[in-house]
Amino acid sequence: MSYEKEQMERNIRGEAINDRLDIPLLRYLWDASPLAFLSNKESYHDFFKKVSVLNSFSDNEVRIFTKFLHRREFFTNEVIFRQGDSGYGFYFIYNGAVNIFSNQQNQSEEWGEHVIRLERSQYFGEMGLLEEFNRRSATVVAAENTVLLGIFKPDLEKMLELHPVMGAKFLRETALIMANRMGHLTRDIVALKKRLKELEAKP
Amino acid sequence: MTKIQKAKLYLFFFILFFTVVFAIIFPRLTLPFGFSYIIYLMCKPLTRRLTTGTRKQRLINLGVVLIGMSFLVIPLVASIYNLDTDFSRLMTQLPEVQSILQEKFFGMKVKFFEKFGVRLNFDPVVFLVSKLEAQGQVILAGFPDFLSSVFEWMLLVPMFLFFFFVESKRFNEKLLEAIPNSIFEKTYVLFSQFNTKFGEYIMAKFIEASILGGLVTLGLLIVDFPYPFVLGFVAGITNILPYIGPVIGYVPAFFVALLSKDPSVSMFAMSMIFVIANLIDMVLVFPLLVSKIVNLNPIVVVVSIIIGSQLAGVVGMIVIIPFIAFFKLLFVEIYKDLSIQL
Repeated sequence: MSYEKEQMERNIRGEAINDRLDIPLLRYLWDASPLAFLSNKESYHDFFKKVSVLNSFSDNEVRIFTKFLHRREFFTNEVIFRQGDSGYGFYFIYNGAVNIFSNQQNQSEEWGEHVIRLERSQYFGEMGLLEEFNRRSATVVAAENTVLLGIFKPDLEKMLELHPVMGAKFLRETALIMANRMGHLTRDIVALKKRLKELEAKP
Repeated sequence: MTKIQKAKLYLFFFILFFTVVFAIIFPRLTLPFGFSYIIYLMCKPLTRRLTTGTRKQRLINLGVVLIGMSFLVIPLVASIYNLDTDFSRLMTQLPEVQSILQEKFFGMKVKFFEKFGVRLNFDPVVFLVSKLEAQGQVILAGFPDFLSSVFEWMLLVPMFLFFFFVESKRFNEKLLEAIPNSIFEKTYVLFSQFNTKFGEYIMAKFIEASILGGLVTLGLLIVDFPYPFVLGFVAGITNILPYIGPVIGYVPAFFVALLSKDPSVSMFAMSMIFVIANLIDMVLVFPLLVSKIVNLNPIVVVVSIIIGSQLAGVVGMIVIIPFIAFFKLLFVEIYKDLSIQL
């Protein structure tokens, strides 16, 4: 929030306003950028500051990270990838939303069962980045006109070569996502087994 | 797939086809372009290291191009005059070479007749020398054309190189944007793998050739064999061609040994040097540097070289290997996809 807005809101709330400016110089210059009005769109940098995967990244690391990304635009109902395709990339949803389908039984069936809808700032496909020979476990379809930011295996290799610390941080975050998902999966399996035992025990 | 997506896919393949046709029709542009691309891929790891974390990327890239080109152009310009005079001298010395070879062959014929009682009625020396003479005349007549194409390359290669170093990132981004979504992931990964393999292969072959050339030169210097630097250079350059290269590299040294005062001694010493240098290359340098990059069956390599020479001469023989390695990757990918679908 800019300094002017902050002061205006304090004024609306009826709070007392300091008679002296109390902002760091850098922040003032940043907010007062003469070209700021030209870009209405949120920059990749601002977007990634809100994405949980890059929580441990510094501002400069986020800036460098965005250089390794590929922007891809998809129309509504356009398939991003299909279940069984070779996977090489990890996608962040920059704009729009996607639907994830699984258990496609045969080729005649279009996408399979709907599993989940992912919205802006969420991500998918991280297995494709880590596994050597990854097969996509689900079909992902754009739910509306969608903009994705993708990072692929060659980009990760380049990142590890040029910015090893940042690459290692990103790998750790990606591994954490997978570990969390594995944890959820294990808990689900335990709960399902318990439920199965209960059902079997019933006369 | 919607109509727009289909149209994008068809347009992409049409542009690809048009580019290939253009490349075949205009080899005078395509060859220096390809050569510059190879140099760019070779230098890329170095420039990437130099330009990381600095804002003076254009300046560094320009510096690399200028230094690299001065290494290539200065010796070339200096040697053009000598090349012409050396070649003319060689052509005038041809009768001397012919008489020595004929003398040797005659001695061999006599020995053969004494041992087996059979008279050899053919003379390959006359045939070989006449062929060499005819070819030499063709080369001499085509020398002005060769010179003009050298100067054309000297103009085009730095220009293309500078373009690759300075604009390749933006150009690649635009190129990748044009790839339809449905084939993007695979195309991008294969394109990156090809670039890496190609660059690594050419660089590895370059290092291998330098090591072998150095070993041969050193060996020839030790036994005091004539023209050690030229013969070492030829052995190194020809070594870029797998399997066939070492044999081709040996031929000039063989002829020099024939012309020496005591052919049998110098032939033995020189041959041993070539054998030892090639053994070191085969046992140590090649497995460590090159084989991991291409990972192809030796039969596939030999067949590929023959196909490469048919398609684009010596250049084809060198560049066909990474292309075949890339096609292997591509077919493995397609095969994996098909096996999933079936």
